[in-house]
Amino acid sequence: MSIGSMIEDLIKSLFKKPVTRQYPFERQPAPERFRGKLHWDPEKCTGCQLCVKDCPANAIELIVIDKVNKRFVMRYHQDRCIYCSQCVVSCRFKCLELSDEEWEQAVTNKKPLEVYYGKDEDIRFLMERAAAQPVESPCE
Amino acid sequence: MTLEKHGENRFVVPIGPQHPALKEPGHFEFVVDGEIVTGASVRLGYVHRGIEKGAEDRTWTQNLYLMERICGICSHIHATAFVQGVEKLAGVEAPPRARAIREIFAELERIHSHMLWLGVAAHEGGFDALFMYSWRDREVVMDMLEMLSGNRVHYSANLIGGVKYDLTPDMMDKIREGLNYLEERLAHYLDVVNNDETFIGRTRGIGTMTREQAQLLGAVGPTARASNFAYDVRVDAPYAAYAEFPVEMVVAQEGDLHARFVVRILETMESIRVLRRIFENMPESELVTRVPRRIPAGETISRVEAPRGELFYFIASGGGEKPERVKVRTPSLCNWGTVITLAVGHKLADMPMILAGIDPCFSCNDRLVMVKRNRQDPQVWTWADLRNYGIEYYR
Amino acid sequence: MNLTIHPLIVLLFFPGGLFLLASGLVFQWADRKLVARFQNRVGPRFLQPLADVLKLLAKEEIIPEGAHRGLFVALPIIALAAALTAALYVPMFGVQPFFSFQGDLIVTIYLLSALTISLGLAGANSVDRFSLVGATRTLTQLFSYEAPFLLAVIGPALAAQSWQISKINAYAGETTWFIVAQPIGFLVALVGLMGKLELPPFDAPEAETEIVAGALTEYSGRGFALFRLSKDIELVIGLTLVAAFYLGGIANPLDFVLKTGGLLLVMALLQTAFARLRIDQTVGLWWRVGALMGLVQILAILAGIYIRQWWL
Repeated sequence: MSIGSMIEDLIKSLFKKPVTRQYPFERQPAPERFRGKLHWDPEKCTGCQLCVKDCPANAIELIVIDKVNKRFVMRYHQDRCIYCSQCVVSCRFKCLELSDEEWEQAVTNKKPLEVYYGKDEDIRFLMERAAAQPVESPCE
Repeated sequence: MTLEKHGENRFVVPIGPQHPALKEPGHFEFVVDGEIVTGASVRLGYVHRGIEKGAEDRTWTQNLYLMERICGICSHIHATAFVQGVEKLAGVEAPPRARAIREIFAELERIHSHMLWLGVAAHEGGFDALFMYSWRDREVVMDMLEMLSGNRVHYSANLIGGVKYDLTPDMMDKIREGLNYLEERLAHYLDVVNNDETFIGRTRGIGTMTREQAQLLGAVGPTARASNFAYDVRVDAPYAAYAEFPVEMVVAQEGDLHARFVVRILETMESIRVLRRIFENMPESELVTRVPRRIPAGETISRVEAPRGELFYFIASGGGEKPERVKVRTPSLCNWGTVITLAVGHKLADMPMILAGIDPCFSCNDRLVMVKRNRQDPQVWTWADLRNYGIEYYR
Repeated sequence: MNLTIHPLIVLLFFPGGLFLLASGLVFQWADRKLVARFQNRVGPRFLQPLADVLKLLAKEEIIPEGAHRGLFVALPIIALAAALTAALYVPMFGVQPFFSFQGDLIVTIYLLSALTISLGLAGANSVDRFSLVGATRTLTQLFSYEAPFLLAVIGPALAAQSWQISKINAYAGETTWFIVAQPIGFLVALVGLMGKLELPPFDAPEAETEIVAGALTEYSGRGFALFRLSKDIELVIGLTLVAAFYLGGIANPLDFVLKTGGLLLVMALLQTAFARLRIDQTVGLWWRVGALMGLVQILAILAGIYIRQWWL
């Protein structure tokens, strides 16, 4: 039985620096295995659609322009992504990767959260096609 | 003030759904006579998300992540329970190393959950120093989990048939170092909980539950074990790698709040010991076995010991890519009866501590309950019915 | 230190009025910062208390349905007025009190109690369950700490043979510190002050995990700001009083800063070191231990005085 068993800790703390990390001023690198923004390598992809099937948040769309010539564009909805890395595990050709550097992803509007990956000419092709067609219904 | 609604002269103190004592939504009504509580009732269902129904619409793999999101604090154990049920249905077993890693995650999660609880419960008793210190030290475990999986909360370590993340010897050394520090700190907190006069005044003899009561009310987990009800799924029906690396059950005799503190702290120290044992004899094998995308038809139950008690999954497969039915029974749900029963006769000031004593997780609780009330057909409710019901209820 | 300043300036700026309000905020900041550092946290910035008050003053004041409107608006003003008035009889900032008469010690203590009573009334007046429970607890606590605190303050008064704060202050400065002669009295006074200010572990009347904000649950905007300000001022006055009586008096501003600062440090430590007491435990502690200790101290002082008279 004692009164104030924690007094020792308290007094010691008075002479220590607070443990609080003052985040925007003091930055720490994310751990190696951190799961941040998704990156896709169009060169290796075969268009098997496994990542699309397994994604629990429907965050990935793989748009096929020409299956034979392996022309794909990936539309990645970062606002839906839950960063579970299931797609990375599912991919048999190691063309997906979650970045451990891009983790400050907060934005004030949703526009930049819809990311297109792929070869430049493929994306351009897709954009032109979308512009030519009447408004495409958003895929839900 | 009287509540005319009840037609009686009663002074009811409501706690929740918005109240500083509870950071999650749940509603409690305590009928008080002066400071003494003479009646208690609970109303849940503020964060009903329809997860069980949602599970029927997703593939087995997608469900893994849905189940993880039932609870933020015990996310890994939910996924483990689900994944073990699915593996049982598919007739495969995860490789030994994967099972050991599952146990490592589960025990690290238990440490972080119990330390979180220690802080919350101390805060409810107005002991903010213990709150701040236990949460400060909890960061050590959070850092370990972040190092292992890349995330602090939703580790997503499970896969159907194995795990995603391996442990390197370097990581094990770092974790060992952290565990040494934690063990020292936990011994100190145990000392504070056992010896601090003011704290004991708030915990000893408060909310005492006998073994019979615990059994009758269906209490599970540390709440039951503090009442000398020796039941722990890890010991009684070992899963993951608990058969190879067993834990010792921690029970206490008294059944009061103080016993719950002691049981949880000792359990955390037991977790640390078992983690060390696993690190010494880490089995070598691959991490994943192949599981078909279609799970054979059948039904199974899967039980695990979550930090709050026994977690129970019922999974039915129709042989397709999606489950036919998933039923989850979370430990918090089993423990509510004890709160309502134990509250009567105590002081109003003890209510937050008794509430926190079972380590409630409100998101885990949410079920939609249909009560037959002057309605012919309670099965089908249209949108208009629900809307009217809501308007009537809050009138 | 003795200054002659125009009474209006005394009331409005220094040492009453504005200066007092500012020092209340500074002490609140110091208290929060110290508690935070004891808990290994960073704590608020220097201007945080001021920002809080300004924000509250700018906000709408909501008067709950069923509460007596006049009383609801008047009570915070009465509380603040009581606190500000009490400061005039106390050697604030090391300056001689500006109004002083035989018996002002009793008046000061009454004024400080008036603050607590208006808090209790405010809780009972706002039609709310949490406020009502809070008000009951506030008043229960008032009845428990008041007697021991009074006994503890009377100790130095008896020794100084005066009911005038300035005289006791001067006397305390001349003899050995009363903390040495009357250690029990000092302890009771310090802990009594914590009870008076409803600081942890005696914060059952405003225990946020049980009854939200206690008596002040329904207060918002201006009323809440005034109540908080009056509590801050009560903190300064209480610390000054205890320092003046037990820590060898307050003779100059440096004395004031050092002594009240030291007391605040001890008080912040006591605030964090314990679990909150239930209201029944608080009452039990005060009447069974506090009052008894106070009485023993008084008896010892009286005995000492008689022995000295008999000796001489």
